[in-house]
Amino acid sequence: MNRQMPRWKMFALHAGLSLTCAVTLYPVLWVVKLALSPTQTLSMSANPFPEAVTLDHFRDVLGSTDAQGRWLFGRQLLSSIVVSAATTLVGLTLAVTAAYSLSRFRFPGKQSGMQLLLITQMFPATLMLVPLYSILQTLGLLDSIGGLVLVYATSSLPFCVWMLKGYFDTIPRELEEAAIMDGASPAQVFIKIVLPLARPALAVTALFSFMQAWNEFILAATLLNDTARFTLPVALQRYVGEYKTEWGHFAAGALIISAPVMALFFALQKFLVGGLTAGAVKG
Amino acid sequence: MSDVRLVGIKKSFGENVIVRGVDLDVTPGEFLVMVGPSGCGKTTLLRIIAGLEQADSGDIVIGGKNMNEVPPRERDVGMVFQSYALYPHMTVKENMAFGLELRKVPRPEIESRVAEAARMLELGPLLDRKPKALSGGQRQRVAMGRVIVRRPQLFLFDEPLSNLDTALRVQMRGELARLHRALGVTMIYVTHDQVEAMTLATRVAVFNKGVLQQLGAPLELYNRPTNAFVAQFLGSPSMNLIDAKRDGAKFVGAGFTLPAVGDTSGEVKLGLRPQDLRVASEGPLRGEVEAVERLGFDGYAFLKTAAGSIAARFEGADVQVGQNVAVQPMGDVLHIFSADGAKALRHPEARGA
Amino acid sequence: MFISHLAFADAPVLKLWHGYRGGEEQAIEQAAKQFTALTGTQVELLAVPYDALSSKLTSAIPHDAGPDVFIFAHERLRQFHRMKIVAPSGNGLDRSKYLKPSVDALELDGVLYGYPLSIKCLALFMRGDRGLTAPTTTAELENALTERRQNQFTLAYEAGDFYFHAPILFGFGGVLFDEKGRAQFDTPAMTKSLNWVKSLQDRKLMPQEVSGALVKTLFNENRAPFVITGPWFTGEIDGVPYSIHPLPTVSETGLPMAPFLGVEAAFVSSRTQQPELAQAFAKFLSLGDATIIRVTLGRQIPAELAAYDNEAVAKDPMISAFRTVAERATPTPNTLEMARVWEPMKLALRAVLQGGVSPADAGQLAERRYRALNREAPPTTTPVPWIIGLSIGLVTFGGWQLRQGKGKTFAKRYPEAGRGLLYVAPAATGLFVLVIIPFVIGLSLSLFHHDAGEYTFVGFANFADILTSKGYRITEPLSFYFTLVVTLAWTLANVVLHVSIGLFLAILLKDPLLKLRGVYRVLLIVPWAVPNYITALMWKGMFHQQFGAINAILGHLGIEPVSWFTQWSTSFAANVITNTWLGFPFMMVVSLGALQSIPTDLYEAAEVDGASKWTQFRRITLPLLKPALLPAVILGSVWTFNMFNIIYLVSGGEPGGGTDILVSEAFRWAFQRNEQYGFAAAYSVLIFFVLFAWSQVTKRLSGEESA
Repeated sequence: MNRQMPRWKMFALHAGLSLTCAVTLYPVLWVVKLALSPTQTLSMSANPFPEAVTLDHFRDVLGSTDAQGRWLFGRQLLSSIVVSAATTLVGLTLAVTAAYSLSRFRFPGKQSGMQLLLITQMFPATLMLVPLYSILQTLGLLDSIGGLVLVYATSSLPFCVWMLKGYFDTIPRELEEAAIMDGASPAQVFIKIVLPLARPALAVTALFSFMQAWNEFILAATLLNDTARFTLPVALQRYVGEYKTEWGHFAAGALIISAPVMALFFALQKFLVGGLTAGAVKG
Repeated sequence: MSDVRLVGIKKSFGENVIVRGVDLDVTPGEFLVMVGPSGCGKTTLLRIIAGLEQADSGDIVIGGKNMNEVPPRERDVGMVFQSYALYPHMTVKENMAFGLELRKVPRPEIESRVAEAARMLELGPLLDRKPKALSGGQRQRVAMGRVIVRRPQLFLFDEPLSNLDTALRVQMRGELARLHRALGVTMIYVTHDQVEAMTLATRVAVFNKGVLQQLGAPLELYNRPTNAFVAQFLGSPSMNLIDAKRDGAKFVGAGFTLPAVGDTSGEVKLGLRPQDLRVASEGPLRGEVEAVERLGFDGYAFLKTAAGSIAARFEGADVQVGQNVAVQPMGDVLHIFSADGAKALRHPEARGA
Repeated sequence: MFISHLAFADAPVLKLWHGYRGGEEQAIEQAAKQFTALTGTQVELLAVPYDALSSKLTSAIPHDAGPDVFIFAHERLRQFHRMKIVAPSGNGLDRSKYLKPSVDALELDGVLYGYPLSIKCLALFMRGDRGLTAPTTTAELENALTERRQNQFTLAYEAGDFYFHAPILFGFGGVLFDEKGRAQFDTPAMTKSLNWVKSLQDRKLMPQEVSGALVKTLFNENRAPFVITGPWFTGEIDGVPYSIHPLPTVSETGLPMAPFLGVEAAFVSSRTQQPELAQAFAKFLSLGDATIIRVTLGRQIPAELAAYDNEAVAKDPMISAFRTVAERATPTPNTLEMARVWEPMKLALRAVLQGGVSPADAGQLAERRYRALNREAPPTTTPVPWIIGLSIGLVTFGGWQLRQGKGKTFAKRYPEAGRGLLYVAPAATGLFVLVIIPFVIGLSLSLFHHDAGEYTFVGFANFADILTSKGYRITEPLSFYFTLVVTLAWTLANVVLHVSIGLFLAILLKDPLLKLRGVYRVLLIVPWAVPNYITALMWKGMFHQQFGAINAILGHLGIEPVSWFTQWSTSFAANVITNTWLGFPFMMVVSLGALQSIPTDLYEAAEVDGASKWTQFRRITLPLLKPALLPAVILGSVWTFNMFNIIYLVSGGEPGGGTDILVSEAFRWAFQRNEQYGFAAAYSVLIFFVLFAWSQVTKRLSGEESA
């Protein structure tokens, strides 16, 4: 199938794709415009490019300080990074071991456990906040990064476990047996054979865990009691007030928050394609 | 070099009984081929020897040591898998070195062993490739190299040639035989292909339905099969089996009579190897030719007779599908089995042995 | 970090939570510093996003994890009181020092709670550069402008919000509650007030569908010289001269339009360990220097009387104008009944302004909605039979499990159980504690009725009410069945669009010879990487009738601007468009992966067989994609089914809750309709059953696939 496409067809294809990209990017450009425009309000037109450009909003958001003059944005960024990275690490560790076990071993309660995992995903999360708060307090994990990380990590677990189990199922058992014959201990089989082979799925799950923790704000605002430890989405949400919203700051903040996630997406996109589908398609 | 002794091995998965009590002695340095139809338990048995599977009961003794509770890595056993199971994320070299690294073999030693194995298997130019970039035969050789570098006392092969095309298979068979001679270690080889069994083995173990049917040198099994199953399983085309009844000095069956031999009585199964039958104009059995497999000057004709399908050799003669021909036994060739096929009652004198 | 105040136990520390930003935040920080300088007591401030503050307070304080003092509007006082999180101010509060209505607002059954800090109420803002005089009556207001050009108006305010309509209702002699204290809607004053507003709109004295952003633009662009809004508006005026006046008197009745007065107060937590200190601090914030700081720096309208005599304050025209305005205002009732008024009123208002209902019928509409929302508590029943039933069930199940395993030892059946369970244990423990337990509690809530912190066991009554559609017809948006149909339509529309667009793009992008393929792919993935609440707010803005980019584009194409959220069909479409934008990249990526797994020789074979491109797609691509796409479709459908953010933030259920889906409806029952947690939990359980049934169907579908 190496035939060359006719010219007009190639042209039409590129035109169509460019148009689709334009439509896709239009709303984003519009956020960029809000972030770069000098006003704080929505004043919209079809033109997605700013008429006047200022970096004030970014400066305000990036340079925000608290009463003691501490650099709030920096601390909140750090907090976001710590929370998200720890969530990814903890979530992935838990998910990988659980998924491997579910994929490889037979034990009682496995099937019902898998069902239960799915079921929890179907229950709206809003009603679970109240009991969750009590539990965290009992565990002494209120107002701590650790508690927040645990909540994030466990709430993204069901998805991660399902993804990874699907992927592990496609890794031939014989590879592990070969490693056993080569003299690998169970831990070595897991670390040297299974994990490297599951890299696409690990990348995708890591990305999802990270994104979930990076973007969440209701739990973060409820469970943490220190401005400097708030994650960035909480800070962003503060620009939305009861009576008015600082749209310029909000848009600038939104861009700043989205940037790392986008960067991760682009860095990991070659894994995305394989990692998401391999669970269903062998090979 | 190590001997292997299996005593009363039993294994079942859920309700399925796979291995029904197998006793087997493998002598040091021998090339034992375990053969049988799929599902006969031979692969399971191999995996039990490797330690990948736990037997429900019985003992595995390797080199005089009971290995029942010993994990695979301490059994000093190497295994080549049907799918080769090469680690896709490692190069050929890394694949081969993996087992040595795990055993903390010093680096220079690893290098030299890998180089030696690569030379032996002609893998030199491929060492830095990933398995994805190799052909089937090359992968096969890497899989063997991976075991060779570890120098285990016992080699296990699980249908290692089944994914190769015919020409490669013949070539690899030769290489395997050479390897066995060169290394002189004990090898246990599982296959469902009787040709591999006949060509490679010092001894063959035939399995059916989880039971060891017969153990012996290839020709012994061919010439003196212990039952109808072994008789049919070895040899190609497989042995013709026809029902008959002893009637005085004759065997009488559906549409034929043959002169009786031996001292059997009552109902029996007669076994006639196609190689021992010739297509002829006259003979005790007649039928219509249904198919012809011409190998060149000679070949085999498949007849439909009143007693069932019969295969017979022909030479030169112009045999056509649809012809009505007869077959003629070439001397004393009759194997006789009990009517249920479970027991051999008589074998012809071995020729040329 | 959080144990630091234990280490210095001798230096007292007070915690203050608030939702202020900008100048108000700076002011409160300064005031706190002054308090520290004065008393040596450290104050730890925590600024929480406005919409998270209430739930944070009600979660934290009962667990002794909350602040000593918090700042909140007085409307919530009754709820705070019933949840027992607020302490009375006792003798510390001197009524005479504050504006009377601001203290009245803090009174519950004769007891005062908190200290009033600032007030907020509506006023009439007038541009100062049009040579107009402030109207004192509605007639004067209506005739203030003798000539108006196209797209110019006399008045603008957020007419769809009852907070803004309330003064008009009162001006027409309306009374919100009857003698028994129950809300009333179907009154003559209601009809008259709505008639008047509708006539303003019909005569084009006032624009349609006014939002806060529009009010600001109209005023700044000199397209409406009068706007009704609150003190927060002063920050939005772009250097235009303006003045602030009391709302006019209704000419027909001679009654003044009396706006609601909101009081922001410093409340002392009922669980504070240092009640005296906390009281002293709250009081400090409400008086003297603290007030002046709050006024000058935070631009708050003070509740303290003395502040108005301060030189700096007196000079501020905005502050003093609001004092006059506030004299006419009535505190927003802090009763529970008041909380029940907003949603029915909003429904009626929007229905009238959008022309769906006549002003005369609007009262009835609101009354019906009120009755539906405020279900009576179902009769309490005893949980004993439930507990017995549950125990029998558990024992039977356990016995059955044991029987299943009979005949074989555990180790035989599960030789790897030890390792398997060991690997699962960490995840299982975490899940059990932080997901399963809250989940089970959430489930069991559905058997209870919740009223201000009190749970009563009611058995299946919540489910019965939902499934029999008690209190409303099944064709109304409040009915479970209506919402279910909307939810299914929503899910179906989205999944179909996601898959078809995603697959189409994937096919275009599949060709490895295509130039710029990587660039296109990267650009098309962008929507996936944007947090979805940002997406939702972004699109909400784009669908705005006057300022939305979509209508601007339609305008260029010569199409009349569409009022997206006033009709069900366009509102639904807006939700679907937003979610499609959000969701197609996922399906595109999955499809790309799946397409790459189809061997190309299949297409070559089909080509040789003479199959057309379309036939190739239908007979090869689709069937081979199915196994890869099916799980993604299942996952996508569950996500879409529960896609709360988009519905809540884009259409917000408009019009009249018609575009709400089950999960947003459950949210409303839990958090916007008197916290009927039990009812909301029952909704959630039903959602769960629907999805569970769906998962069984899909299991069969994918089972057929592999068979």
